[in-house]
Amino acid sequence: MARVSAGELSKLAVLFERHHRALFRYFVSMSRTREMAEDLVQDVFFRMLRYRSSYDPSRPFTAWMYQIARNAGIDQKRGGEVVGIEEYMERHAEPASSSPGPEEHASRGQNLNLLRRALDRLPRDKREILVLSRFQNMKYEQIGEILGCETGTVKVRVYRAMRALEQIYFALEKEKVS
Amino acid sequence: MKKLTLLGLALAGALCAQDRLTLPFRDPNAPRKLNVDLFLGSVTVKGYEGRDAIIEYSGSDGFRGRRGAPEPPPAGMHRIGGGREPDISEDNNVITVKGGLWNLTGDLTIQVPVETSVTVKTMTGKSVTIDNISGEIEANNMNGEVNVTNASGSVVANSMNGKVVVSLNKVTPGKNMSFTTMNGTVDVTLPADTKATLKMRADNGDIYSDFDVTLGPRTAPEVKEEKTKSGRVRQRVVRAGTQQGTINGGGAEMQFTTFNGRILIHKK
Amino acid sequence: MTCEETKQLFADYWSDGLNGEDEIKLQEHLGACEGCRKEAERLGALWRDLGALPAEQPGPGLRSRFYDSLAAFRSGADDRFSQPSHRSPAKQMVWQIAAGIALLLAGVGAGYGLRPNQSPELSQLREEVANMRQLVALSLLQQQSASERLRGVSYALRAEPNDSEVLGALLDTVKRDSNVNVRLAAVDALHPFASSPATRNGILQALTKQDAPLVQVALIDLLVDLKIKQAEPELRQLLQNAGDAGVRQRAEWALENLQ
Repeated sequence: MARVSAGELSKLAVLFERHHRALFRYFVSMSRTREMAEDLVQDVFFRMLRYRSSYDPSRPFTAWMYQIARNAGIDQKRGGEVVGIEEYMERHAEPASSSPGPEEHASRGQNLNLLRRALDRLPRDKREILVLSRFQNMKYEQIGEILGCETGTVKVRVYRAMRALEQIYFALEKEKVS
Repeated sequence: MKKLTLLGLALAGALCAQDRLTLPFRDPNAPRKLNVDLFLGSVTVKGYEGRDAIIEYSGSDGFRGRRGAPEPPPAGMHRIGGGREPDISEDNNVITVKGGLWNLTGDLTIQVPVETSVTVKTMTGKSVTIDNISGEIEANNMNGEVNVTNASGSVVANSMNGKVVVSLNKVTPGKNMSFTTMNGTVDVTLPADTKATLKMRADNGDIYSDFDVTLGPRTAPEVKEEKTKSGRVRQRVVRAGTQQGTINGGGAEMQFTTFNGRILIHKK
Repeated sequence: MTCEETKQLFADYWSDGLNGEDEIKLQEHLGACEGCRKEAERLGALWRDLGALPAEQPGPGLRSRFYDSLAAFRSGADDRFSQPSHRSPAKQMVWQIAAGIALLLAGVGAGYGLRPNQSPELSQLREEVANMRQLVALSLLQQQSASERLRGVSYALRAEPNDSEVLGALLDTVKRDSNVNVRLAAVDALHPFASSPATRNGILQALTKQDAPLVQVALIDLLVDLKIKQAEPELRQLLQNAGDAGVRQRAEWALENLQ
């Protein structure tokens, strides 16, 4: 690998400060384990260094970053074998969001907790599109760029993901009442 | 912040009467820290399964200082404070116990939750003992010994004229540590799998370890030739070199220094 | 507008992305179609709640590992990062250090109206933030925790020998740090800076202020190694006044050695 100048490392530090929280939230929502999410965040920044020549300055930086992030998530290897996030999730059953926060005391907090559990149960592609649009506040055009699809398709998929989320949410609510 | 210091002082007044004070850390979920800075007296800090700091004084003369028996309180009055109490305060989850020359002559025992970072400094205490603490530990005893047992996290310990004995059950990887004394043994026990880069120096003593230490470079000792009274020439080491080494492949730096004494590095 | 067409606007509706024309068409349909209206309300509420979910925050270890890796990267250990990051040793560094650096960098960034997709402006940072290790060393030396300051000293040891800022911070540590162990380590770290006149003056000043015998001995050794002959008055003073016999012995040896 080519030598990296101090200036580039400083840039990386700036990028880290700007984006690591959002990336962490993305990964923790996708993988549901904090430990793995932290590993992946770190991985993304060093991948950026490694693949920096692939960055096209005329395109949005965040789109490039999330493309790297998605690949990092997919490539995540443990013990030499390729383990997808879904599979990893199943092995590490305890969700990252399981620790009770103060928000759980209020009834709205209970709803939010239920919502988070519903989100965790959403299939990966649906969860990802909601995480990107709602948590990362990304424009649909940008999401299309990351996922490699038309903006219109993104909007339809957001709608479908919301419908699916609603169904799981109400199912969990019923489960709780009964 | 001022308010809290005042509260601490008021509580210190209470401590004077009963020689025991319970002071809560304000936020049980945030990191905790205990700072002890004393002139006289031995200090023991113990981790326990609780949420508050319990500060106990076990001397014979209470917190009254060492100028003989206190005057009885004036009729109808009770003591609410004075200049000779230790200054105990809580600010932002940091509990500070400070005592000057006249404050404490006896021993102080402080119990804190196990997961608390602890800094203890004392000038002339017989010993500083820290037991069952998980966090960053800093212990400095000028004229007595330092004992740290059942620790996990990191330890930075120094004594001037006493031994430094430290035993860690768990080491936070990547934390630098240092164990030094001018006159005394440095005796440190580390978990068997600790990864560390050791820098050891014992000017007038030997270094022992049951770890498999991979020895690195060593700065050469300086040797001086002297004539003994009987006229024989003998060599005396006037300055020892620093011996470097690694255990388990190396890691954060650990410094072991004693001028007059041995260095023992045990494997747990 | 059909129900199907309406639902295609929902995503924009929730994210306030509808243009005026579509907004009017949507509202017209919702006014007329109860099914769509109820769905828009239910899903809209859920969309709002999604926005209210508290963000999980990364632990302090993430930042410290990142800056550790960055520093290691700088020192040329590039091949370590061809491995997935979780295999590299997870060194710890308290988050405050990194936060200190972050503040510094953020300050620089803000000053240039930095945006992540403006790479020419990013490159200006090269001049502004020249040396990561210097920053790490300088900010570590300011830490509350003695262990972290010791770490700062380790970093300082690897700084450029002509880095006057790191040297200044080290000398300050030797003179003023409250912890004996940190002062002792800082004295050892001064060796690479031997050629600087500031080092020589700094050592002499520190020696007169020093009360810990271990640090006194280390400073005397450094005087001898650097052959600082003008140290004689300070050494004589120690020979007379030092409380510790070991220190007096060492001062005597140094006086002989420096003649």
